[in-house]
Amino acid sequence: MAISPSGQDGAATPATGDGAVIEVARLRKRYGDVQAVDSISFEVHRGEIFGLLGPNGAGKTTTVEILEGLRSPDEGTVRVLGIDAAHHADRIKERVGVQLQTAALYPFLTVVEVLDLFRSFYARSRPTAWLLEAVDLGERRHAQTRQLSGGQRQRLSVALALVNEPELVFLDEPTTGMDPQARRSLWDLVLRLREGGTSVLLTTHYMEEAEQLCDRVAIMDHGRVLESGTVEALVTRRFHERAVFFDTLPGLSVPELEQLPRVERAMLEDGVTVLYTGDVSATIGALLGRAEQLGLEPRNLGIRRATLEDVFLDLTGRALRE
Amino acid sequence: MHALVMLTRANIRSFVRDRTALFWTLAFPVIFILLFGAIFSGGGDTTYNVGWVDQDGTAASAGLRQAFGQVPLLHLEDGTLQASRQAMQKGALNGIIVVPAGLGASVAAASGGPGSPGAAGPSSAATLEVYTDPSQQTASTTIRQVASQVVASLNVTLTGRSPALGVTDRTLQTQDLTSAAYLVPGILGMALMQLGVFGAVPLVAQREKLILKRLGATPLPRWTLVGSNVLLRLLIGLVQAVLIVGIGVAVFGVQVLGSLWVMAALVVLGALSFISIGYVVAAFARTEEAANGIVQVIQFPMMFLSGVFFPLEIMPSVLRPIATLLPLTYLGDALRQVMVSGSAFAPLPVDVAVLAGWFLVCLTVSARFFRWE
Ligand SMILES: Nc1ncnc2c1ncn2[C@@H]1O[C@H](COP(=O)(O)OP(=O)(O)O)[C@@H](O)[C@H]1O
Ligand SMILES: [Mg+2]
Repeated sequence: MAISPSGQDGAATPATGDGAVIEVARLRKRYGDVQAVDSISFEVHRGEIFGLLGPNGAGKTTTVEILEGLRSPDEGTVRVLGIDAAHHADRIKERVGVQLQTAALYPFLTVVEVLDLFRSFYARSRPTAWLLEAVDLGERRHAQTRQLSGGQRQRLSVALALVNEPELVFLDEPTTGMDPQARRSLWDLVLRLREGGTSVLLTTHYMEEAEQLCDRVAIMDHGRVLESGTVEALVTRRFHERAVFFDTLPGLSVPELEQLPRVERAMLEDGVTVLYTGDVSATIGALLGRAEQLGLEPRNLGIRRATLEDVFLDLTGRALRE
Repeated sequence: MHALVMLTRANIRSFVRDRTALFWTLAFPVIFILLFGAIFSGGGDTTYNVGWVDQDGTAASAGLRQAFGQVPLLHLEDGTLQASRQAMQKGALNGIIVVPAGLGASVAAASGGPGSPGAAGPSSAATLEVYTDPSQQTASTTIRQVASQVVASLNVTLTGRSPALGVTDRTLQTQDLTSAAYLVPGILGMALMQLGVFGAVPLVAQREKLILKRLGATPLPRWTLVGSNVLLRLLIGLVQAVLIVGIGVAVFGVQVLGSLWVMAALVVLGALSFISIGYVVAAFARTEEAANGIVQVIQFPMMFLSGVFFPLEIMPSVLRPIATLLPLTYLGDALRQVMVSGSAFAPLPVDVAVLAGWFLVCLTVSARFFRWE
């Protein structure tokens, strides 16, 4: 699995040529005062699941829709399947699958009718039964789309992205609005697609989704790619230590916590204190001792490995929340 | 091609399943025509006003008048041909019976005995002229039948043998307010106008729901998308035409005089120009509600200022210049001329040219300003 080094412009990513299904270089897009996408670069390799991870407004959708040929870039180059997406989007459309962030469905058509309609747009298409099975909508096949739940609409919208057996699938926040079970089954589907050789670019603001699914991620905020690489690399590059967390104690300040043995950093986040430490037992022992002196008791104390959430918190000083 | 068929099917399904759209485009015009037709064709009284024009002035013509005067169905009003025609065109008369000069002499000759020239059959001098309005079917058949019967019985009394009198039917299309024949083409025009202009609403809704954007991410060509929307509207337009004309004929006895092909061509042309107006609305309206509002602002004045319900001549002269700009004026006028030979507001080629002009202008404007997202 290729690991690309971090870098604001991602320029360090080796030029893989044939291996890349998406190449983005110094892409910019502005809306009025908002620099929605601010000179970003990244590559997606054939056969991988690549995640654009970032909070609302980070510029994920804008980036993806430029790649889909639905919006035009201000500056920079975008190549999809080797084709210039800014000028020859029509040549790409037959070969990619698109799921928009907001499901766009004919309200009065049934699930099967919508699938068959979209199948008619492509030279080659998957059987309707396969699609229904893939997103588990068999039981709702004859329901009009306006009668579907949010999660079901989202699943249909994903199925539409798979109609033409695409080489590359764009999924823009595919699991938003789904219940946990539907989310897991969608993850399974995405993993199965990868097994079949399909490349996937997905955006998400769920850390867990990125960690579970993505071979590589790019973390976006305010239109920029802050860092990119494998989840593993992003986490270990920044945190060799583990995280000890507990409900914030009013008597313990951050500077004081950072004085505890082996603690490299302390952060307060939404009522939870997180200590990154190289030695969990030494840190916890000292923490409990200090708390006892103050007559306090840490509640909901726990230990975990550092996650992408921590990476994001560290990069931006903010939590990435749903 | 397959995509066009599938997309048109999808559009038809969406249209049929959306009860509100169905109501406004199909039920509404039907209700309209039944309601207005019933009010305006003013049924009930079974006597018909018939102008009596005596150009002969003989005892024979006076006898004829007496004979007709005894028919309870008819109410005779004496007058000159010109005055009677005017009265009929205004709707005061349902028909006119003209006794031409020389009739008395001809009848005298016929009853004079065999061998005289008039006895061989009805000559032009011995022919009653009966004017009726074919679009007022009941009135026109009644008057013609009454005339034939009266004449037949007179023939028998006069000669005892062969008929010396005949009846020549003349048609005269009236601009009668009470005539369904006036209303039917107008309401068809109105329905096509609503069909086309209201087309903006689902179009904007599809854009708002991002359906147009989603389709833009597929290889589907734009022309297929537009083509299928237009195709749907044209199909509905033809259904409307069949419904409205059908009701006009079946319920109100309107006679369709012109060619069905020419009518169909006019329906298509009219639908196209109003569809293109709908596209212009869709180009500028951002939300479905806005589109609906603009459509109402366009369609209501147009409905009342285009002579759909009453002739432009009786419209206040201040408003007439507006009427001469509106495409519905010309569509109604063209349909009226072709369907029921109504008197023209403008010559047919002018009607067609104005409609085509609206179509081309709106096509250009919407092509320039239409947004898919
Ligand atoms: N069509 C648009 N017009 C104006 N501003 C836009 C438009 N699309 C996106 N933006 C702005 O660009 C920024 C990035 O938006 P977006 O790409 O949707 O982010 P994300 O998908 O990561 O939530 C936001 O500030 C958003 O308001
Ligand atoms: Mg987004």
